[in-house]
Amino acid sequence: MHMADALLSPAVGAAMCAVSIGALAHSTAQIKKDDLCEKKIPVMAVAGAFVFAAQMINFTIPATGSSGHIGGGILLAALLGGFPALLPIAAVLIIQCLFFADGGLLALGCNIFNMGVIPCLIVYPLIFRPIVRKGMTSRNIAVASIVSVVVSLQLGAFCVVLETLLSGITELPFSRFALMMMPIHLAIGLVEGIVTAAILGFVHSMRPEILESVDNRTRIGADVSMKKVLVTLAVITLVVGGLLSIFASVYPDGLEWSMEKVAGTTELEAQGGVFDSAAAIQESTAFMPDYDYASAGEDGSATGASVAGIVGSAMTLLLAGAAGLVISKAKGRKGKAQATV
Amino acid sequence: MASIQSKVREIYSLEQLSGKHTCVHALHPSAKIVATFVYVVTVASFGRYDLERMVPYVFYPAVMMALAEIPYSLLLKRAMLAMPFCLFAGVSNALLDRVPMLSLYGVVVSRGVVSLFALVFRTLLCVVGVLILVSVTPFTELTTEMRRMKTPQLFVTLFEMTYRYVGALAEEAGSMYTAYQLRGNSDEGLQMRDMGSFVGQLLLRSFDRAERVYSAMKCRGYALKDGCRVSAPMKARDYCFLAVTCGLSLLLRFVNIPGMFSQWIGTVLL
Repeated sequence: MHMADALLSPAVGAAMCAVSIGALAHSTAQIKKDDLCEKKIPVMAVAGAFVFAAQMINFTIPATGSSGHIGGGILLAALLGGFPALLPIAAVLIIQCLFFADGGLLALGCNIFNMGVIPCLIVYPLIFRPIVRKGMTSRNIAVASIVSVVVSLQLGAFCVVLETLLSGITELPFSRFALMMMPIHLAIGLVEGIVTAAILGFVHSMRPEILESVDNRTRIGADVSMKKVLVTLAVITLVVGGLLSIFASVYPDGLEWSMEKVAGTTELEAQGGVFDSAAAIQESTAFMPDYDYASAGEDGSATGASVAGIVGSAMTLLLAGAAGLVISKAKGRKGKAQATV
Repeated sequence: MASIQSKVREIYSLEQLSGKHTCVHALHPSAKIVATFVYVVTVASFGRYDLERMVPYVFYPAVMMALAEIPYSLLLKRAMLAMPFCLFAGVSNALLDRVPMLSLYGVVVSRGVVSLFALVFRTLLCVVGVLILVSVTPFTELTTEMRRMKTPQLFVTLFEMTYRYVGALAEEAGSMYTAYQLRGNSDEGLQMRDMGSFVGQLLLRSFDRAERVYSAMKCRGYALKDGCRVSAPMKARDYCFLAVTCGLSLLLRFVNIPGMFSQWIGTVLL
């Protein structure tokens, strides 16, 4: 999945470089907080070298006549933890780029993101850890490995498609490109997942302390202010919903475009009593129809879209907060009931 | 496994080339890094069909390889590794984009075919540009420049150690594979059912080696702290090199000199 420079525009390459540098800087900061940081460096370096060496080992895939090799993102994350795994993966990718022409210099940011950030910082904490937290058994390790590797490869392949299309290099339409990339990486992911599961299973049987001592303490630390995070998210939502919505395209969206090409109209009229009743309810409750003031007229108004954006964002926030509150209350009541039993 | 041993040789072959003494090797590493970066970015910034405008960029690798005495075959062989995916993207362009673009003696060439050649050419230029940088800049100078660019010491140390131990672990993997073959598996390659224990053993040996490496480093006074090795300042020849390479890269990017040249040929010679 190593991308070459020729498939990227400088803008996309620079943007992904910035994202990857940010992720690496954050991982470095997290590792430095650990008192054992100095001792971890040889372990991380040797683990990175191990992944490089393991990638050179091609194994025969039965009944296909072909061979494959592991990628190593999830494997390293399971052995070292999410943040400590990203750095050796990045080091290996830089070595492959510089010395083996495997991946371009401009594409380094994309490759680190697709093969490092996605498995180590996204898939590992969200999929692998929750599964093995239920119990470090061979079955859980196998399931976690296979699912994590498949998901990370699918996400990585999808990102390759997006990055290439955004760069405007290929004529392939999005659907066809994705249709070609995703099934191939699904097959690769299944094989790699099985191999990763076998390796981790072996390590767990021989030296269980390696997997169990991985620093799973990647919860949000006490010094991170949730209030600041929430305020930042709220401001971003207001900016996007309020300001950027003014520039929302007036052209039909994808579904409406398809409808126009197929049926000659962007909306189908539904007929029947149920539809009429539902339409009447919607008319009376929609206080900003079509994201605009009710009195805006055919051309609409810029502030109407902006206000609609802010109001829509606020309502979404309220609904999300209400849903969270209801769920917390329900869990609290369930906990109390179990305690009394 | 012959392929593992050949990979190990490949890892350090470019490093051996960087030990030569030519005018290119004597340049400051910062100048070479910046020139390579500007070169790669300008080549990558051309449009899909700008094959003609990219052609003059071939001067950079041609001149640099000649001045630095780098074998052409070695770099071109390495550059071939980057081709498969680009060829796939280029061939799909050729099949999907059939709008005629030019006619050569009655043969109509579509835009897709031009973009195929442009993609392959662009890949070659970018890959060879980076390989030239690594062939003329020793690894220690690369990492010194990384420190000067304020890359965290932790990452640079990790990068150096990973590079050093890639060869060592690849050789270990090779010995393990030889032992595996000698146990009656020579004809079939590494079976998937044995992959878990094989790679798992390699992993456990790696972790044990890491413990020994850490102990050895501590015995030699190692401590992780941010520092920066002082490298020599840039000289006039480094600034000239930068001015020529970056200046020409940018000039060719923004001024259509190949187009002017083609017009002149059309007017004067044809």
